Amino acid sequence: MIVWVGLGPLGVILLALAWRWLPSKQLPVAVAVWVTLMVLAVGVRFSLDHWHGGWSLWVLMVVNVVAATSAWDSVWWAREHKSANMIRYFIWWALFYTSLLVIALANNLVLAWLAIEFSTLVSGALIVEMGHRRALEAAWKYIVVASAGMLTAIIGIVFLYASLQTERLGWHTLDYANLQAHYLSIAPIVREIATVLIVCGIGTKAGLVPFHTWLPDAHSVAPSPVSGLLSGVLLGLCLIAVNHFVTAVPLPGGMLLAGTHLLLLFGSLSVVVGALALLVQRDVKRMLAYSSIEQVGIMAIGFGVGTRYAIAAALLQFMFHALIKSSLFYIGGHLSVRYHSMYLRQMKEMARRQRGFAIAWTIGILALAGLPPLGLAYSEWMILYALWQSRLWPILIVLSLGLVLGFAGLLQHLINGVWGKSNRKSVDVNMVGGGVTHG
Amino acid sequence: MASAALIVFLASVGLLIVRNVWYSVLLLGVEGVALCGMVFLSGSANLEQFGVGAATLVIKAGIIPYAMYRVVKEWPLEYRNDRPLPWWGFVAGVVLLLSATRVNHLLSATGVIQNHTLFFYGLASIFLGFLQIVSRQHVLSQVGSLIAVENALVILATSVAGQLPLFMEFGMLIDLLVAVVILAWMSRLVHRQFNTTDVTVMRFLRR
Repeated sequence: MIVWVGLGPLGVILLALAWRWLPSKQLPVAVAVWVTLMVLAVGVRFSLDHWHGGWSLWVLMVVNVVAATSAWDSVWWAREHKSANMIRYFIWWALFYTSLLVIALANNLVLAWLAIEFSTLVSGALIVEMGHRRALEAAWKYIVVASAGMLTAIIGIVFLYASLQTERLGWHTLDYANLQAHYLSIAPIVREIATVLIVCGIGTKAGLVPFHTWLPDAHSVAPSPVSGLLSGVLLGLCLIAVNHFVTAVPLPGGMLLAGTHLLLLFGSLSVVVGALALLVQRDVKRMLAYSSIEQVGIMAIGFGVGTRYAIAAALLQFMFHALIKSSLFYIGGHLSVRYHSMYLRQMKEMARRQRGFAIAWTIGILALAGLPPLGLAYSEWMILYALWQSRLWPILIVLSLGLVLGFAGLLQHLINGVWGKSNRKSVDVNMVGGGVTHG
Repeated sequence: MASAALIVFLASVGLLIVRNVWYSVLLLGVEGVALCGMVFLSGSANLEQFGVGAATLVIKAGIIPYAMYRVVKEWPLEYRNDRPLPWWGFVAGVVLLLSATRVNHLLSATGVIQNHTLFFYGLASIFLGFLQIVSRQHVLSQVGSLIAVENALVILATSVAGQLPLFMEFGMLIDLLVAVVILAWMSRLVHRQFNTTDVTVMRFLRR
């Protein structure tokens, strides 16, 4: 199975390397076709052999599908950014894709940690490929903050390993199944410290508030096909890794710093901050990035509730969000190129000037806002219902208010963009300062 | 082993205080050699242990300091100095060292710590590394602080687990290597595009 999955990124690296000696400039198309074929092959294989393999296969398929759409969007992006070094871009992209696949497939905490840390480095390099000062600044901040978070998490992982090494399982000690089987051998205070370190550490990479400071910068300046993978897939995968750990190493119910409590706390903060920030955003991709913080918060709440129903709802939320948010990042990037600006105040009259984009943008934003019958509406209702069942009233109120605020914020930006009158006197300061910044 | 850990701890203090990034590179090299010695001295003398020790020597005492040296070498003298550590950095440093002692004491009842001296040096160096990230402003000071935290983590791991699984040791070493290569490349770009090596000058995202 792993061989099949690994063929996708491996082929991209080989194609990128081989293209140095080939005359054609169609590398992006070749990559997109290859990734699509591999995704189809993996899908067919899974449907024949392992279709009932549980959530992890669905998560894997979502990663593959979004990667394929990202590859196709890279074709378009390459035409809009002719100065970009596409060979280097696709090598970084393939390494990033590999790290996402490993996180999705990892059944071991250290393996997940290594893949998440690796994803930080290669996605940081992809952000630098934008070639302007804002990108460099965002990538620097991203790598330093996320790496510091991941170093915090590995301290917790070392504590877990130290407590369980008497089991003599080698590196399999940190398999989620083994952690679940032996967690009672770990002293409660060590479990508590490890939980805080791991949830906060990997939570930094998942973009949970208050560890989110790097996220809006990094996601808004990255190339749009990469923003789609970063926001749509990577954040959710990090949260799923946190959930695997929290489920495998539970703390006694009364402990204040239990993993589920931390997820509920950080999730609620993320929903509030994400929804409020949405209302005042001026930059199209920053708006989408803050929406991702809100969405990650909703998923964290689902995982924090911890019932089977709530976890299923959170995973469903991840899948719908991955597909919707990645599409919106692609569209947002192309819109910013067409309007020569990333500012929402300049992206007006879409219905008249960019009819095709206006339709896609409207459907995407309405889906993101949680309008039925579009996907996220169901998973959000499921999480609300899980909160109701678990009688977590304060979180239920916070989430409900957050969803209403988020809906209002997105709708306001949608109406202004699609039907609002443009102000042609405004100047795009980013074209003056840090170079061309649209993604 | 305690001597090697003490060297790493003193190097961490040095990294926090020195202003010239030349010395930072040198101190990281010293940390790499000390860690290599510690890896050889800890655990059983087998092929795996030898492999980890050799990889530590090559990566932490060789490639990483050399990659940073090459970056520094390109810069004129005025770009090689960091600002002095602010007064609150000294206060925070003392508080963090005291809290490392407290954590050492707190965890002693759990039996998770095998060597309390190593644990103190490891945890204190981690704390000082994190303090370095928030208190220093030179691009290479920040890169150095991430490496210093990772180095200190090896001591902490030895103090609680003796030896980490081979996969974990090599995985972390390779991750660190990739991180330094990318960050060294980015340090060059920061100097070239911003004409500075001070990270606080990077303020385009706030405009």
